[in-house]
Amino acid sequence: MSPDGRHRSLRRRRWLERFLDGWAIYRRNPLGWIGLGLLALFALMAAASFVPPLIDPMYHPMAGVDPEITSSMGPSLRHWLGTDFMGRDIFSQLLAGARVAFLVGISAAFMSVAVGTAVGITSGYLGGLADTLLMRLADMVMVMPALLVVLILAALFGQLNIWTVVLIIALFRWPGVARVIRAQTLTLKHRPFIEAVRVAGASHRRILLRHILPNVLPLSFLYMTFRVTSAIMIEAGLAFLGFGDSTTVSWGMMLQWVWKTGHMFKAPYWLLPPGLCISLITLAFYLLGQAMEEVLDPRLRKEEGGVG
Amino acid sequence: MFELEAVTRHYAVRQGPFRTRAVLRAVDGVDLAVHAGETLSLVGESGCGKSTLARLVLRLERPTSGRVRYRGQDLWEMDRDAVRRFRREVQMVFQDPYASLNPRMRVAQIVGEGLAIHGLARGAERDARVRELLEQVGLPPEAAGAYPHEFSGGQRQRVGIARALAVEPRVVVADEPVSALDVSVQAQILNLLQGLREDRGLTYLFISHDLRVVEHISDRVAVMYLGRLVELAPAADLFREPLHPYTRALLDAVPVPDPDRRREPRVLEGDVPSPIAPPPGCPFHPRCPDRFEPCDHRVPELRPTGTARAVACHRCG
Repeated sequence: MSPDGRHRSLRRRRWLERFLDGWAIYRRNPLGWIGLGLLALFALMAAASFVPPLIDPMYHPMAGVDPEITSSMGPSLRHWLGTDFMGRDIFSQLLAGARVAFLVGISAAFMSVAVGTAVGITSGYLGGLADTLLMRLADMVMVMPALLVVLILAALFGQLNIWTVVLIIALFRWPGVARVIRAQTLTLKHRPFIEAVRVAGASHRRILLRHILPNVLPLSFLYMTFRVTSAIMIEAGLAFLGFGDSTTVSWGMMLQWVWKTGHMFKAPYWLLPPGLCISLITLAFYLLGQAMEEVLDPRLRKEEGGVG
Repeated sequence: MFELEAVTRHYAVRQGPFRTRAVLRAVDGVDLAVHAGETLSLVGESGCGKSTLARLVLRLERPTSGRVRYRGQDLWEMDRDAVRRFRREVQMVFQDPYASLNPRMRVAQIVGEGLAIHGLARGAERDARVRELLEQVGLPPEAAGAYPHEFSGGQRQRVGIARALAVEPRVVVADEPVSALDVSVQAQILNLLQGLREDRGLTYLFISHDLRVVEHISDRVAVMYLGRLVELAPAADLFREPLHPYTRALLDAVPVPDPDRRREPRVLEGDVPSPIAPPPGCPFHPRCPDRFEPCDHRVPELRPTGTARAVACHRCG
């Protein structure tokens, strides 16, 4: 084998090894199993959300109205979880909600973690004035009541598109990540192996991208799971308050329909499923994060994953 | 190779219940020259400023005042190209072989990084160079594919040495290269460094707190105390006849592996004073067994005594 090919296979083996080592720790954590199980369930739901409209157009979560039903009905064989006030199938809405939750949660978390990591690394590495400015900015964003600002934005610009919601969540949730990554960068910056590459004449770019970034990425990855939780909560809150994307069915949106049509205490088959799903997916990502925390670094602190 | 001229490095620190500003004098007016081809050892207790001096010499830190010159050029007046050249010619071996290697990189990447940065070799050529270097420091070529955590301390230090040698430097600054290692491994690493020096005509600035380590490899020895040089002498002279009372105390503290030749150790009393509030006069006078009248108010300068020696003591010269 060529030396290059050998390197590659070595790297592959190494990744596998690292993964298996991590997995060995993870699997000892029963809470991690619960989180993973729940996530698998929700992933299955999200994947299955494409099926009902194919069976019959009346199962389309948004546009599919059962022609024979004009008011909210309880569960039946035709509609497993019943229908909403205008005869749309709640079960297919629930499945579609899972898809939206993953979409919003993961993309918003990814963006906020990407921004937070970039800011944290820059701030920690540069130090001095740049550090002060970036961290004060982070403080300012952190103390802003996210939900309130989003409400004001929504009031100003009218209906928000789902991607706008994602973007806004990302914009508000990066400072926490930035602070943690900055702290980690600070501890790395003065490690002898970084000093060694400086002595070797490495540029700042090289030091940041090849030496500091790979050492903070596991931490960023961990933070992503916590950010997913908070993104889903924020989206659900916005949708419930009526500031979500009205063209998308999300669990928060379903709750808003329950509320607005006055079925809050009349239709538990309609109220409970989306509410439970929001709680459980939040819990699932949180448990996943907790278990991964143990794998990545036992000394890491926990982070809250609430709204705002 | 290197000339240090009245080099001072102060740190601003905040201390006490009111976080008052204070100045820590890590290096306080050091004049020193490192000649081409020699091994100059810098010894002293921990906290005496020897590592700071190394960092100043390596251009990792800027002196508060004074100048550090490399081959006549001030380190902080160099242009980009000169800095690049400097980074190739001056390399470092670190104290802690565990912390000085990136845990997420394989040995081939660690050792080959300098080659990559300076564009000296790429691809298969770089791999070949890395293997050659590993062989020179006594590691099997298979080590290239391994991660640092798979090695013992001594082997890691060999990796660190290979990394330093990769760019074919003229000067190697070794900051306590063996103090984190077992005694049996220390000798191996010292022999390796010694051999490499002869093969490659290297200049060493060797930093250590352990006089036993220094004795066999140095041409000259500089003794530091509280940020100042107190004695500078050819190694043989210094070990035969130490002039400064601090040097004598250090030598007395070296255990002698001969039960019949037991020296009466004169143990120094007290601790090293804080570099934030150094004592007036000679920094060593509070602990000095030979202090007399001028010691507590006049700072002794490093004065030449005889040939090639210098000492900073009111008793001598």
